[in-house]
Amino acid sequence: MAEQVEELVNLTIDGRPVSVPKGSVVWAAARKLGIEIPIYCYHPKMDPLGACRMCFVQVEKMPKLATACTTQVAEGMVVITDSPQVKKARQGTLEFLLINHPLDCPICDKGGECDLQDFTLRYGPGASRFDLSKRHFQKPIPVNEQILLDRERCIACQRCVRFCQDVAMEDGLVMQERGFRTEVGVEPSAPFDSIFSGNVVEMCPVGALTAKSYRFVARPWELKRGATVCGQCAVGCNVLADVRVDKLLRQYSRTNDDIDDGFLCDRGRWNTDLANSPERLRQPLIRRDGKLQSATWDEAIALVARSLGEIAQRDGGEAVGGIGSTHTTNEEAYLFQKLLRVGLGTNNVDHFHGRFPQGDNDAQPWVWSDSIAGLERASHIVLLGADPYLRQPIIDLRIRKAIRRGARVWVVSPAANRLDRLAAGAIRYQAGQVGAVARALLQVTLSERLTRGAFAEQRQASLAERLAGLADATPEAVSAAAGCDAEALRTLAREIAGAKGAVILYDEMATREATGETLAADALDLALLTDNFGRAGAGVGPLLEDNNSLGARDMGLLPGSLPGYRAVDDEQARAELSAAWGVRTPEAAGLDYDAMLAGGVKALYVLGANPATHLSEEGRAALAGLEFLVVQDLFLTETAKLAAVVLPAVSYTEKDGTFTNTERCVQVVRKAMLELPGARADWQILRDVANALGLGWTYSNSAQILAEIGRTTPIYAGVSRHGLGQTGARWPLAPGATEADGQRTLSGSPFLTWEMLAQGVAKGRGSDQLALSAGRGEQA
Amino acid sequence: MVSEALKAQMRETVARYPLARSAMLPCLHLAQDELGYLPDEAIVAVAEAIGVKSDEVESVVTFYSMFHQEPKGRHVIKVCASVSCYLMGCDAVIDRLERRLGVRRGETTPDGRFTLEAVECLAACGMAPALQVNGEFVEQVSPERAERLVTFLEEGGDMAQVRNYWRQFSDGAGMATETEIGVTTEASDNGVSNTKKVR
Amino acid sequence: MADSTETQTERAPLPLGPNPRFITENFEVPGIDQIEVYRAHGGYEALAKALKSFQPDELVEEVKKSGLRGRGGAGFATGLKWSFLPKESPKPRYLCVNGDESEPGTFKDRMIMEVSPHLLVEGVIIASYATKVHHAFIYVRGELLKAGLQVERAVREAVEAGFIGKDILGSGFDLAITVHHGAGAYICGEESALLESLEGKRGYPRLKPPFPAVVGLYSGPTVINNVETLAALPAIARYGADAYAAYGTEKSKGTRVYCLSGHVNRPGNYEAPLGLSLRTLIEDLGGGMRDGRAVKAIIPGGSSSPMLGADKLDLPLDYEAVAAAGSMLGSAGVIVVDDQTCIVGATLRMSEFYRDESCGKCTPCREGTFWLVQLVERLEAGEGRESDIDLLLDICDNMFGKCFCPLGDAATSCIVSSIKLFRDEYIHHVREHACLVGPGATRAHATAEAHAR
Ligand SMILES: Cc1cc2nc3c(=O)[nH]c(=O)nc-3n(C[C@H](O)[C@H](O)[C@H](O)COP(=O)(O)O)c2cc1C
Ligand code: SF4
Ligand code: FES
Repeated sequence: MAEQVEELVNLTIDGRPVSVPKGSVVWAAARKLGIEIPIYCYHPKMDPLGACRMCFVQVEKMPKLATACTTQVAEGMVVITDSPQVKKARQGTLEFLLINHPLDCPICDKGGECDLQDFTLRYGPGASRFDLSKRHFQKPIPVNEQILLDRERCIACQRCVRFCQDVAMEDGLVMQERGFRTEVGVEPSAPFDSIFSGNVVEMCPVGALTAKSYRFVARPWELKRGATVCGQCAVGCNVLADVRVDKLLRQYSRTNDDIDDGFLCDRGRWNTDLANSPERLRQPLIRRDGKLQSATWDEAIALVARSLGEIAQRDGGEAVGGIGSTHTTNEEAYLFQKLLRVGLGTNNVDHFHGRFPQGDNDAQPWVWSDSIAGLERASHIVLLGADPYLRQPIIDLRIRKAIRRGARVWVVSPAANRLDRLAAGAIRYQAGQVGAVARALLQVTLSERLTRGAFAEQRQASLAERLAGLADATPEAVSAAAGCDAEALRTLAREIAGAKGAVILYDEMATREATGETLAADALDLALLTDNFGRAGAGVGPLLEDNNSLGARDMGLLPGSLPGYRAVDDEQARAELSAAWGVRTPEAAGLDYDAMLAGGVKALYVLGANPATHLSEEGRAALAGLEFLVVQDLFLTETAKLAAVVLPAVSYTEKDGTFTNTERCVQVVRKAMLELPGARADWQILRDVANALGLGWTYSNSAQILAEIGRTTPIYAGVSRHGLGQTGARWPLAPGATEADGQRTLSGSPFLTWEMLAQGVAKGRGSDQLALSAGRGEQA
Repeated sequence: MVSEALKAQMRETVARYPLARSAMLPCLHLAQDELGYLPDEAIVAVAEAIGVKSDEVESVVTFYSMFHQEPKGRHVIKVCASVSCYLMGCDAVIDRLERRLGVRRGETTPDGRFTLEAVECLAACGMAPALQVNGEFVEQVSPERAERLVTFLEEGGDMAQVRNYWRQFSDGAGMATETEIGVTTEASDNGVSNTKKVR
Repeated sequence: MADSTETQTERAPLPLGPNPRFITENFEVPGIDQIEVYRAHGGYEALAKALKSFQPDELVEEVKKSGLRGRGGAGFATGLKWSFLPKESPKPRYLCVNGDESEPGTFKDRMIMEVSPHLLVEGVIIASYATKVHHAFIYVRGELLKAGLQVERAVREAVEAGFIGKDILGSGFDLAITVHHGAGAYICGEESALLESLEGKRGYPRLKPPFPAVVGLYSGPTVINNVETLAALPAIARYGADAYAAYGTEKSKGTRVYCLSGHVNRPGNYEAPLGLSLRTLIEDLGGGMRDGRAVKAIIPGGSSSPMLGADKLDLPLDYEAVAAAGSMLGSAGVIVVDDQTCIVGATLRMSEFYRDESCGKCTPCREGTFWLVQLVERLEAGEGRESDIDLLLDICDNMFGKCFCPLGDAATSCIVSSIKLFRDEYIHHVREHACLVGPGATRAHATAEAHAR
């Protein structure tokens, strides 16, 4: 990371020296030493409040005890955390907190993970001297669909309220009344219906805010906490998957500052259906007499291998195809394309994704060139046809943080957007017209000569041609077609061009809108030509659909690309891969998603995808009429219902692997619970099918597959579970430090520069300068 | 119920401050003065006027003791119950008013005419015990005077007439009302002659 | 101890006689709240002089020289406070006038605002000029309706007369003044809570540092001064710092408006030099004790200050002397308690105030005041235990110095000081289930209301 050098301050705490960045609070310095200072109101992701008075320490030369959460470190400061005065003060505060706190710990859901319990044990008074009447409130009141509030348990630390107001910037919880009557509450006309609401349950230090879904369900010590990555959207928040026996109960945050900043959205937090649903498939099914019937794994695997193998043998590899998944791990996506390319001899492999200009020697990765954390440094954030609140919520939350730091956000979307209220500007267009809007922005940039930076400088010659290609995209023309304000388009284009750093994000699926075909290319050019590229806080790219949408592309689930975006006819790549795989892959590009579904193949292997939902009645009939259709999934999907064989797979909480999120971060997914009996991980199923085809694959765990990816996929060079560590790394990966045990860490790249693209980051080989994407998009 | 005129007044108030949110208390006062209390729609109107969320307005409303979300009586009698008035016998005044009005402190008479409240120090300690009727001070109140004040108000008396009223009914010494403020000069006979009692 | 005014007399010839009234001089003049009358009595001449004869920085020096200290409670040197404002700042700077007077026993600011609002307004303009502020806010306690309206009217009149607005009296100095009404919260008298309130928020005190002088209203550098403090400025400008500083004591200069209340014959506001003895205040100005009773306790600086026993009657009322006696001059709200008063009952009443006015932000104050009241209530009702008395002291120890703002500390004053001085009375309540003195002494009583006389 290109960090600025931070100024360090030296102090001692309980006699031990420590250095921390200037501006840190004493609490953080103590934590660095592993010294616990109890806190309630303080939360490392929020400004200090200093209200609970729990974190007292003694600071030499200060007349009174100081609160560690509000006291900034100073050079030479001497802090004591365990003097008699400190102990008495902490005891006093705990006693105060307990006088009005009900002692219903046995039936409180927080019991066992409650800071009030824990700190009382460690720092509290042994007995209560309070023998009078406690304050009482009516039993729990609902805060929203998912959350209940027991006001008498509240210790008024204001964490939840500050989260709503300062972090989420949403309606919701507020402080009400004052003094000893203080309570947390909701205002009826401003309910807390926020997708971020669950965070308050997690950050409540006591059992005042609890989740309906978890109430009276388990005790924390019964939970097994799996440190993994959420699989519910393309953000990839780091979670602890809390499992009791065989049920996933909830996901709590595992704080990755660069990705989730310590927060989760409610979908990730509460949606446990993927793991727990009674609808899950528990055994393979084979169609017999027109009906799907239970079968053994051996029967099913043998049938799949035999059918696919025979058809490929008989009609050639082009007769078979595979549709892969944006949900499965990188390892599984990798094995899937390898099975098709190596085992069945075809490049007919694809997945459902946005429309990105594809395939020639300039193949670009079409990826967000900056990072989530980079948003905080942006002066402008432009959302084109994107709605991160609904689709990538934790990115929306980071955008709010950027807004607090002064970023101007422009929401360009067909419908009202949750960010409108906080945005500097909103442009509404008629659904389907997003591509036209992007072209208009580029048109203004070129026609008003707003381009700047070295990239544009070096391409002066081609700019006129690019502008000529946009003759139909004047703001006036687009405003007429898309029903948006021409002047607003001009204003926005000028702001982008004048920005200290603009991040331009479009939704992957917006590229599938009627005019979206060139959206990705136009947005890229807009960023490149206005010098909003290649540094933190400036960049461009898609907000992708699913948890491993990017991994699916990276791993080569594309008819024209091998793993790591190397073209299928790239000789060097083919040579390298044949050395690794023992087989030369076919040279001709395969059929894409639509072509395969439009009758291009006789046999189809669908893994973790549900193409039937994208098809018409006839399309579905054609799918059912395939000579052979095998579907591998958790549920009996519309597509599975048409299959000859259905193979039951497991969810992300039940397996190991890696995901790559929408900002290129490759992260380790860890098995948090046993597989549903009868179902198997996709990589195991694929290995078994391959072996039934006689490929002799010996993978016995996903780490071995990952190691192979590290050898065959340039942007993932050297990847390993160990190297990715707890928080992952953004590709292109590079070797990091070597640790004491000889293991290598990996370092990533927080942002991509156009030089990196030009040098063939994606292709693993040198190439000419990156060409302006002029024309190419339009040709595609 | 929130009239256009009221909304316009709120907008004017907002314009007087460098930051719209500062108009929070003034706008709430405006609404409460006009509507008698702060119903939900008043809270929403204030939220709109100053551009914040209504939950934040409600949060502010519940913090300040002068704002109330339920209607009160036509005459709100606030008797100071803090220490100086306590020393001078305010509890007896409150007791008497409770009996006279047939309500406890904090309650409103069933006919909606009176609300009786015991409040914190009203900055009238030198004229204790003190009370306020709809914001107007009445000072040095004995239980008897308090009772007569109620009768006076029941008979349609107007606070503006309170001074005259006291002239009429006062039982003599030292009764000063707010309109007589600052005019009692009492030369001191102790050598600090230039020091005047001004209140 | 000798009356310090006498000490002064011995020390130097006094420029304005023994007892000048820097603030209340014209308070008896009928209609002094009207601008014409105010001007007829020399009103706004001090402003003209200040604008003409002083550069802003010189005026700050002059105020430093006068020794004027804040009259709001803490007694911080006013000129020094002004000089903490950063010289340059990208944000506008503000003056906030603290007219939230709510401290039990204090009623001087209300008088100034109701009787002579122009005096305050003139002081505000002078202070704004000295601190280079172009927008001042006068925060008037919401309950003080008349005071608020008087100040509003005075501001309007001053605008019309050209004392507020652009290029005041041709000096090139611009000023706007906004009068803002509070809405019932003692804590909003605390300067940072006042700023929050003025910004339309709940009145929670702010974390310091940064101090308001650096980051205050709307994050701009901000001066906050009490009404009485500012009302002293016209006199300082008119008579000069030296004349002002000739009164009072070594470190407590000038005059104060003492608010005398409780069991005296003539309660009221009395302006006198700092260092006036309690005895002079009570016996001479206050006309002695009511019904000829004896003094039992004195609360010298509003209910937040620890009470003192009758042995302290000769204490000079200046910041240092009162502090040395274990209390605070605070807002100079002198509450006198006679010997027929049950101290436990009076303490309960004061404790209830802090419980009800605690903002609830910090734990020790929110919960501690709640607990203290319950314990004192039980003792007062004759149902307490002897151990409750030491428990009270320990709770106070757990609060004192550990709350977020001084309100929590203040809540302990009456309890700690009353137990220190009158522990016997507490014990009597426990053992005899009755008060030692007063109407509650003759019968066991269940509620504090029995104290009503
Ligand atoms: C709980 C609390 C209440 C206060 N109330 C008032 C008040 O009502 N009026 C006032 O002028 N100062 C009050 N103060 C003091 C102010 O915080 C501040 O010190 C003062 O306004 C500064 O003005 P000065 O320097 O002119 O005294 C209070 C302080 C505290 C801690
Ligand atoms: S001491 Fe604490 S609770 Fe009390 S008023 Fe100050 S901040 Fe609020
Ligand atoms: S954690 Fe420091 S005061 Fe609450």
